[in-house]
Amino acid sequence: MAFVTSVFVFSALAGLVVYLHTFARSRSFLRIDSYSFPNASMLVGFGAALLVAVTLLGIPSLLSPLASSVVRSPLVVVALCALVGACAVFIFVRYAPRNFPAHKMVEISARAILFLSSTVAVATTIAIVVSLLFETLRFLEDVPLFDFLFGLHWSPQTALFEDEVGSSGAFGAVPVILGTLLITFIAIAVAVPIGLFAAIYLSEFAKSSTRSIVKPLLEILSGIPTVVYGFFAALVLAPTIRVFGEAIGLQVASESALAAGLVMGVMLIPFISSLSDDALKAVPRDLRDASLALGATQGETIAKVVLPAAFPGVLAGVLLAFSRAIGETMIVVMAAGLAAKLTFNPLAAPTTITVQIVTLLVGDQEFDSSKTLSAFALGMLLFCITLIINASALFATRRYGARYE
Amino acid sequence: MDSLMDFFAPFLRINTRCISLWRTSSERVAIAFLIVFGTLLLPALLSVEEVSARERIRIVGSSTVFPFATVVAERFALAKGLAPPIVESTGTGGGIKLFCSGASSSRPDIVNASSRITPSQLQLCIKNGVNEVVEVAIGYDGIVIAQARESKQMGLTLRQLYLALAKQVPSASDGFMANPYHKWSDIDSSLPPIVIEVMGPPPTSGTRIAFNENVMDIGARSFPRLAALRRSDKSAFKKAVYALREDGAYIDSGENDNLIVQKLRRNPKALGIFGFSFLDKNRSILRGLKIENISPEFANIADGSYPIARSLYFYINAMHDDKISNLLDYANTFFGDEAISEDGFLIDEGLIPLPDAELKRVRYSISSMRTISAADLK
Amino acid sequence: MKYSDISNRRVDQRLKRRQRAERRYRLYGQVAITLALLFLLMFFASIITRAVPAFYYHRVNLTLELSPKVFAGRQGEPLPRKITERQAKSLMEDAIALELGALAQRERLRRALIAPLAALELKQLLEKEAEVRHRLGDRLLLPFVLNSAGENCIRNACANSAEVDDFGLSEGQRQALSILHKRGLITRHFNLVFFTHSDSRSSESAGILGALLGSFWALLIAFLLAFPLGLFTAIHLQEFAPRNRLTYLIEVAIYNLAAVPSIVFGLLGLAIFLNWWHLPRSAPLVGGMVLALMTLPTIVVASRNALAAVAGGIRSAGLALGASRVQVVFHHVLPSAMPGILTGTIIGMAQALGETAPLLMIGMVAFIAQAPLSPLEPATALPVQIFIWADHPDPAFSSRSAAAILVMLVFLIVMNSLAVILRRSFERSG
Repeated sequence: MAFVTSVFVFSALAGLVVYLHTFARSRSFLRIDSYSFPNASMLVGFGAALLVAVTLLGIPSLLSPLASSVVRSPLVVVALCALVGACAVFIFVRYAPRNFPAHKMVEISARAILFLSSTVAVATTIAIVVSLLFETLRFLEDVPLFDFLFGLHWSPQTALFEDEVGSSGAFGAVPVILGTLLITFIAIAVAVPIGLFAAIYLSEFAKSSTRSIVKPLLEILSGIPTVVYGFFAALVLAPTIRVFGEAIGLQVASESALAAGLVMGVMLIPFISSLSDDALKAVPRDLRDASLALGATQGETIAKVVLPAAFPGVLAGVLLAFSRAIGETMIVVMAAGLAAKLTFNPLAAPTTITVQIVTLLVGDQEFDSSKTLSAFALGMLLFCITLIINASALFATRRYGARYE
Repeated sequence: MDSLMDFFAPFLRINTRCISLWRTSSERVAIAFLIVFGTLLLPALLSVEEVSARERIRIVGSSTVFPFATVVAERFALAKGLAPPIVESTGTGGGIKLFCSGASSSRPDIVNASSRITPSQLQLCIKNGVNEVVEVAIGYDGIVIAQARESKQMGLTLRQLYLALAKQVPSASDGFMANPYHKWSDIDSSLPPIVIEVMGPPPTSGTRIAFNENVMDIGARSFPRLAALRRSDKSAFKKAVYALREDGAYIDSGENDNLIVQKLRRNPKALGIFGFSFLDKNRSILRGLKIENISPEFANIADGSYPIARSLYFYINAMHDDKISNLLDYANTFFGDEAISEDGFLIDEGLIPLPDAELKRVRYSISSMRTISAADLK
Repeated sequence: MKYSDISNRRVDQRLKRRQRAERRYRLYGQVAITLALLFLLMFFASIITRAVPAFYYHRVNLTLELSPKVFAGRQGEPLPRKITERQAKSLMEDAIALELGALAQRERLRRALIAPLAALELKQLLEKEAEVRHRLGDRLLLPFVLNSAGENCIRNACANSAEVDDFGLSEGQRQALSILHKRGLITRHFNLVFFTHSDSRSSESAGILGALLGSFWALLIAFLLAFPLGLFTAIHLQEFAPRNRLTYLIEVAIYNLAAVPSIVFGLLGLAIFLNWWHLPRSAPLVGGMVLALMTLPTIVVASRNALAAVAGGIRSAGLALGASRVQVVFHHVLPSAMPGILTGTIIGMAQALGETAPLLMIGMVAFIAQAPLSPLEPATALPVQIFIWADHPDPAFSSRSAAAILVMLVFLIVMNSLAVILRRSFERSG
């Protein structure tokens, strides 16, 4: 807070100084250097203030605690930053030589800042990988990789202290993965037919008036936050399914995979619809025209010519939807269960990777037990799975697509 | 490049086109900047924790004590005009771990516990520099086994509960076998033929510890062989008896007791384990099972006839000097007239108050800031 | 029979089959769309019906007599400066007894029907107005909020129903409520508390103010971090970056970030922002930082498109007139591209508003009963509040959850419409 305020305060002061001084030196504004000169002075001042702020916040660990807290108090930091910044600007403006290459300085600094900003994305990806990897490796010190990936028993709630008795600490992830896949398959089974057929209808059969109404409505489906879907799944859909199921004599859990899967499928409908739409549009007109010219009906053209041509694109869309569904958290946290079961029954209540991550990390905030580290291991697993699926989606299109160009 | 963009575009919901343009040469300046400022910035960033305001009381711990702590927190704030304390429901075990992780003022000030702090936990505190811990007993609570109101009424004994939930039960010969009971009727034919499905707290929860001590322990002792084991080798007894089954009959439901209440409502065949206050607040939805034929009512818990009862506590870190007067005020709010008189707000929440003698002792230990030591915990 | 007749018949049959197939294809499409739209309708209908109860509440108007007996004083004396909550409770109980007589004594109505904090609020009200207004023996007509059991009962006309479900109230208590209702003492009001209060233990005083402010801070921080970073990244990639491996790496990194599940960002925030940098837990600052990382790819891609859409002539003209590359970009290209960039940013912010999973991981799930006045104070966010209240067994809380959902959807609609308007005006003028 103090740092940000100090930067703002100093900028205001520096701007004032520059403005006054620029007029005082009455440089001609047509020369590129004088045009860039105020920017250059701002950069100088900002750099100086940054240096001061960083030293003020970083160095006091060497001083006594009293001096440290005085030096670090917001007032002191803001005042010193502003002062030093303004002084730096003043000195620069007053004493810089007339032919100071301000233009070059601004050019290079600007590009440097732009380049640095773009490295943040890389830094973030690296940070994600490193933080997950670090904790996963610590986890794998206790639990062998084979047991984690292929073990059939998931029971992570171990005790924290010696005189407590907890679970056996089995970390076999297969039931969790299976639960995730079950819900995901249900979701895809709902989303793909509806999304694909909706896309086909909208792009080939529908009048433009229908299109202009229906497309935005489908967009609304994609804009609804997942926590709202989760609310609907947990409070409206799951009880309805349970009541319905019991009326026809089935044993339905109150948090059936069916409820969570259905809602997730609905969430994915606009996703698949828009991707299929793009894929269908990418098929060149010639193919369609040729087919129609040979006497096929519109429906036959779509089924036998357009869809096969668009298949790689549609497949890629399905894969991407798959990876989206696997990583989905809120719907399953609210609508799916907590018990890791090995089951293929959509009426049971399996747990998923994301639910386990959330459950394990709420509460225990120290990362030294297998319990919390297993959450990171699951996160790593999730990250790798989604990465592989996305890469294969890309691969599928590259390899099998664009044959008609 | 374009195809990469095209394939991730769906996640971004925006159409894509891409043009790349000319070269630059500012990477060197950028890297130099990074090196110079990076070495300075890192220690600056690492010390941000001291900068933010720290006057709020931070409370972590038991989900059973959570309803009481939050009600008191709200009233304390309203009465004193201060910012209300922040209460997190982390579970007793996780909360004590946080509390004992260090004495700095960024650590929690108070930890709620639904079972008394153990010697090893206190050891952890002392090891990390938390030497002055004040123990405050709030009152009593019953652990109830609850079911949805629509379900068929059931009553259980401690022995039946032990047999239903233990990971290993005594076998015909001298050892143990994995729990074979699938339905309640398998244990005792008088019980209904419903699949055993019990939702309860994780091992780090104080409620679980209290459940182990009051139900599993006593239920197991009804077997003479196990009672003898307890006398001879207590830790082996605990290892064998306190472990709850992991085959799906017992479902670890996290620290969110409200969630268990909701799940019970939707699933009339399951049972739930939580503190009495959650039953009391949800009488229109739930019913408490009679244990050993005593129903979980206020009066029964207060006079000790209900077999599963335990004390609730919170622990104050007396080393947080800058907040200590607020902490003591907060603590005293638990024992004021408005809180524990007949229609007091804590009684409304379902707390069973301490008897008068205990009350005097606790009030005294608060005002004198009496710290506990390992000797007190014996 | 000629061969042509037979083959014509066959052709006719095939044609009919194909036409039926054609109709079937159309039907599939229509069915699919109808299913999707049906879900949308059901969805909104159920959320709205669940939310409506949260927007109003009931109060019972009672005539309170500041009886001298309660305050151990004499008629006409001023009210004492300090009042205990017990005295406030007695006043309320006497007022109820005045209305309902013996029934009140028997059924402990104040506890059963009135909100728990009402006594405390009455005490504070009387203390504030003590000397100014009131004397012992005065009569005041004051409203008291019903608690959730009473609310439930009134809304479901429980006194009249013969159902077993008694809403947690006894026969007499329900009867008392219906008597008060018949006498017109129970009035219905718009629930402003929902918008002016933060979370609370009792549903009557629970509101979304704290969550709204927490979301606001988090989005502000996310915007302040993501907008410059995203914009500069886009400008770099679009205008200045050479086609080398480093640029490729940056582009791959951005598209990877877009595909990473949101919970992994939460893990990142937990491991680095909380555990390594020791930033304050549950603070919107950390939430904003995590959301900024999630919104970065959206802003980058939108900005790149907007920049690419600017006519190349502008760049050439600027360079020809002697401006430097940086000046051309910042003074000419960027302003033209701004509407498109802002569109993308608004869409990104709208997505960030609905994100819950990463905020759960960084601890914004505590019970925080006060609105955060700075991004460093512990807070919760709107989607997290929805999550917390959804599972509450008290139906008053789950209807408040639905109401919070409506509020959030309103914000999302506003933001998306803004983006659409911007985009339209950009397309028209661009």
